[in-house]
Formats: sequence, C-alpha cells, structure tokens
Amino acid sequence: MLKGNLTCEDISRLILPYIDDKLNEDKRNRVALHLRNCPFCMEKYRIIKSLFDTIKQKNIQRAKKFQQYKLLSAYCDNEVSQNTKDNIEASLALSCDLVRRVLKINTLKKILNDTFEKKFENIELNLEKKVIERLKSQSIASRIKKFFLKN
Amino acid sequence: MNYKVKNNSLDELIEMARNGDMEALEEIIRRQQKNVFATLYYLNAKPDEIMDLTQEILFKVAKNIRKLKNPKTFKSWLNQIIINQFYDTLRKKQKSVKKVCLDSSPDAKNELEIPDFASNPYQRALDKELERAIKCSIHKLPDPFKMAIIMRELQGLSYEEIAQATNSNIGTVKSRIARARLKLQEYLKPYIN
Repeated sequence: MLKGNLTCEDISRLILPYIDDKLNEDKRNRVALHLRNCPFCMEKYRIIKSLFDTIKQKNIQRAKKFQQYKLLSAYCDNEVSQNTKDNIEASLALSCDLVRRVLKINTLKKILNDTFEKKFENIELNLEKKVIERLKSQSIASRIKKFFLKN
Repeated sequence: MNYKVKNNSLDELIEMARNGDMEALEEIIRRQQKNVFATLYYLNAKPDEIMDLTQEILFKVAKNIRKLKNPKTFKSWLNQIIINQFYDTLRKKQKSVKKVCLDSSPDAKNELEIPDFASNPYQRALDKELERAIKCSIHKLPDPFKMAIIMRELQGLSYEEIAQATNSNIGTVKSRIARARLKLQEYLKPYIN
C-alpha cells in the first residue's frame, strides 16, 4: 500500500502514530525521510509534536499531584506507615501549601462526619423485632417442610 | 430494651449469635440498622426502597451470621452484603421498564423528614442545606468512589476492611478515597474554604 516514497497525504495519516512511536521500523524511517525533505510536513509535525509534549507534560504533572494528594489523604486517615508519616510531617513543617491541603482534607472529613452523625440521630428505626420474627417463621416453615418430606 | 445483651461488645454479640442466641442477634440488628439505612441513603437508593432494602439486608445478616467465621471481619462482611443487595436491586431495576412520575419531582418528596427540635431554626436550615449538598455531591460520584468514601467516613472502616468488602486491594482503596475526596472538595468548595 505504501510503496515508494511517501506522499504528504500519507504523512497526514501517519504523523500521529509516528509521534506516538507506534510505527514499525520501515515506516518510521520512511516518515523521517519525508519529513527531512518536506518543510511543509516538518512544520506540521513540529506543531503537533509540541502539542503532544505539552499534554504529556501536563498529564505527568497531574499524576504526580494526585500521587501526593493520595498520600496526604491516606495520612489524614492514619493509614500510612510510621516512616511515611514522619516524612510527611517533616514536609509539613516546611510547606504552608501542604499544610493548607491537609487542612482542607480534614475539614472535608469533619463536615462529612458531623453531617453523618446528625443524620444518624434523625433516623428512627425499630426493625430488629420484625427481622427476628421473619427469621423464626422461616425456620419454623423449613422445619415443617423437612418433617413432611421425611414422612 | 434487653439489659442482658446491652453491655456486650459487638464481637461478643456476634459470638453469642453464632451459637444461636436470638437476643444477641436482635441486639446486633438493633445496633446496625441505622448504619445500613444511612449507607443506602447516601449510596443513592430510591427513598421509597431504602426501608425494604434495609430490612432485606438485616434479614440476610441474621440468617447468615453463623457462616461468619471471624467476628473481626463483621464490618466488611456486612458491607459486602449491602453492596451485593444494592447492585441486585439496581440490576432488577434496569431490567424493568423505567417509570417516570409526571406530576412532581421524583427526588424531593419521599425523603425521611423527622423534625429536630434540638437546634435553632437558622442552624437547622444551615445543617439541612449542607446535608443536602453533601448527599447530592456523593450521589454524583462514580459507584466505586462513592462506596469507598461512605465506608470510610460514614462507617469508619479501615482501608483493609474496605478492600475486603469491595474485593479490591488497599492501593485501589487508597486511590478511590483520594479521588472521591478531590471531587467532593470541588463540589463542596463553598463549605470548605
């Protein structure tokens, strides 16, 4: 399908997999050759590549930020090892931003806990007798069934 | 109120119930019912179905308590039952034709409204607004995030217990809780800053 030299139209189709490093060696080399000889495609490649790099960089930063948040979130739940806890507390002493983030998590925890507690106070349920009665009647029914099956 | 079992710890009650003590079993149900009800309420079960679902879950607990080998795993075991029952109902609902009420908004009317005379009206209005905001925000979360944060904050389960109940690993639980918190922080921004 792609015999001979690649056209600019071929490059339009191959440029994304090329940037993504998804092409086999032969195709990769041919795309590179075309790019070297075609200023128009080269310019196009540069623009798309720089966009890709920016997005990639942003994703890496976002992932890093989330990893840090995840650690702080587990720290607020007291679900980290002593070693990690010590490290976080050492960092907290040096960074106001980190302190602010921990405070936000703790505030969220507090408003959730307070609200849940109030909700609990407002629920009035007395299902225990009903449940036990149902259990007893089911057990009697199954005993009767067993009795008739036996006889 | 039964005074014989009132002072026993949950672990002791479970052990007694496993040996056929009905009073202990009744006390377990008495202590857990609000917990189950509130969990379903925040998981976004339909208001008119919460009571039936709660009863069904409590019945399963009562019926199967003998099968629970280690009382220490009661919380995650209970939550597994809640999750399974909740999903079962969702599945059944998806199979049946969805009915839409044309007369009124489906959410608002059937809520459990119990007057609270303890605080003043202003405080009560504020609490109610916050409660509603929290409920709506939790409902907006994807199911796995919602379950993880409810089990953590409402039921106070450890990460390990949540992992057991949701059949996942601790790393996943950690991520889900963090993701849920990030989203909730965003939704509840006016109340947190």
